[in-house]
Amino acid sequence: MRARRNPKQNHLLAALPATDLARLAPLLEAVPLELGAVIYESGGEQAHVYFPTSGIVSLLYVMKDGASAEIAVVGSEGMVGISLFMGGGTTPSRAVVQSAGKAYRLDAAQIKLEFARGGALQRLLLRYTQALITQMTQTAVCNRHHVLEQQLCRWLLLSLDRLPSSELVMTQQLIANMLGVRREGVTEAAGRLQAEGLISYRRGRIEVLDRAKLEERVCECYGVVRRESDRLLASHAAIAA
Amino acid sequence: MAAIPNSLLAALPRKDYQRLLSGMIPVDLGFGDVLYEPGKPIRDVYFPSESLVSLLTLVEGHLALEVGLVGRDGMVGVPLALGIDASPVRALVQGGGPALRMDAARFRRELRRSPSLQRALHRYVYALMAQISQTAGCNRFHVVQSRLARWLLMTRDRVRSGEFRMTHQFLSHMLGVRRVGVTEAASALQRRKLIEYSRGNISILDHRGLEAAACTCYQRFKP
Repeated sequence: MRARRNPKQNHLLAALPATDLARLAPLLEAVPLELGAVIYESGGEQAHVYFPTSGIVSLLYVMKDGASAEIAVVGSEGMVGISLFMGGGTTPSRAVVQSAGKAYRLDAAQIKLEFARGGALQRLLLRYTQALITQMTQTAVCNRHHVLEQQLCRWLLLSLDRLPSSELVMTQQLIANMLGVRREGVTEAAGRLQAEGLISYRRGRIEVLDRAKLEERVCECYGVVRRESDRLLASHAAIAA
Repeated sequence: MAAIPNSLLAALPRKDYQRLLSGMIPVDLGFGDVLYEPGKPIRDVYFPSESLVSLLTLVEGHLALEVGLVGRDGMVGVPLALGIDASPVRALVQGGGPALRMDAARFRRELRRSPSLQRALHRYVYALMAQISQTAGCNRFHVVQSRLARWLLMTRDRVRSGEFRMTHQFLSHMLGVRRVGVTEAASALQRRKLIEYSRGNISILDHRGLEAAACTCYQRFKP
């Protein structure tokens, strides 16, 4: 028996006009996103694009020496695999599942074909690309100008916005890898947030206890990305109408 | 016909290029001119030829960091190609010189008519995204001196000249570090005889040496 399919759990797919979605639906393959799975590797060609319906995929910039830092997160609001339709070929980033979930995937040849039709899907994907650019830009700025504690708050809030609960399954080492900092720094910053009752951290699980306080502590970068994302959703509605 | 000085335009079929050209006005961009402010509508797009434009983000109203550098390789105004009317960044001319300008309404019409322009711009947007991610990574891992070396080389590649005007204040915004950090890094490169820096003029003396001093990010995005 197959699980019930509902591509509309992904916001981009949900924003497509009914006829476009009906054409795409039979081509979409439901796949699990398993924690830690590498969806594509830096420098590699991608075989599919992914539209998550739950979970989080982290896009990491990979340095030549192997060090990496997160440049964006993608959940059910977006998609992974922009280079396929933007004609970028290989990508300098790696996409890793940061929080397990599910996705629909579409074959590389199909997405290229659909994008080339130039209809609602193309408009949606281009707008999403701009939102992703904003997120990457803000990450670059945040890396440069804000202290680790603010970055951690940003990261927690962006993750939280993409999860159904207030709990993240995540080790401090993984957060350190995402933020491109040493683990000790994360431990220290998380310890302060915990001592003040904003989060609780135990055995690889982080629970956000006081979201409002976390939003007070975070740098403006979170708000910029959030607003862009909200604006995008509003414009999706306009495209679908 | 003269060589087309902007490589994005040069990649278009002749017919598309000719039609675009008829809608463009040659302009001279002045050092320090602001083409876009964040959140404001984009009125014109620019295809630089000998000029160079920095895309800068602001934090709390202050210049914070350069996230993109557009020269003869690209176009200023990519949000329009993505269906967005406002610029998320400040676009600041950091190398004065000629560019071709087209008003936004005409650009949108031309874009609809020309699939080859669409494809060229999509590829360019993707390259710009790679540049942004690299900036994010580079900022995280590399020291100011290597980043300054990378930035000077990226500038040189786009203006095709080893000499340009640049203040420490300007560089500090580009690299997102304090002025004193830029001064130290520039002095170190000067002591190593890789560059010469005097009264706001920078000359690259030894570009191979500078490449060796730059972080590996430069090699990956070399044109």
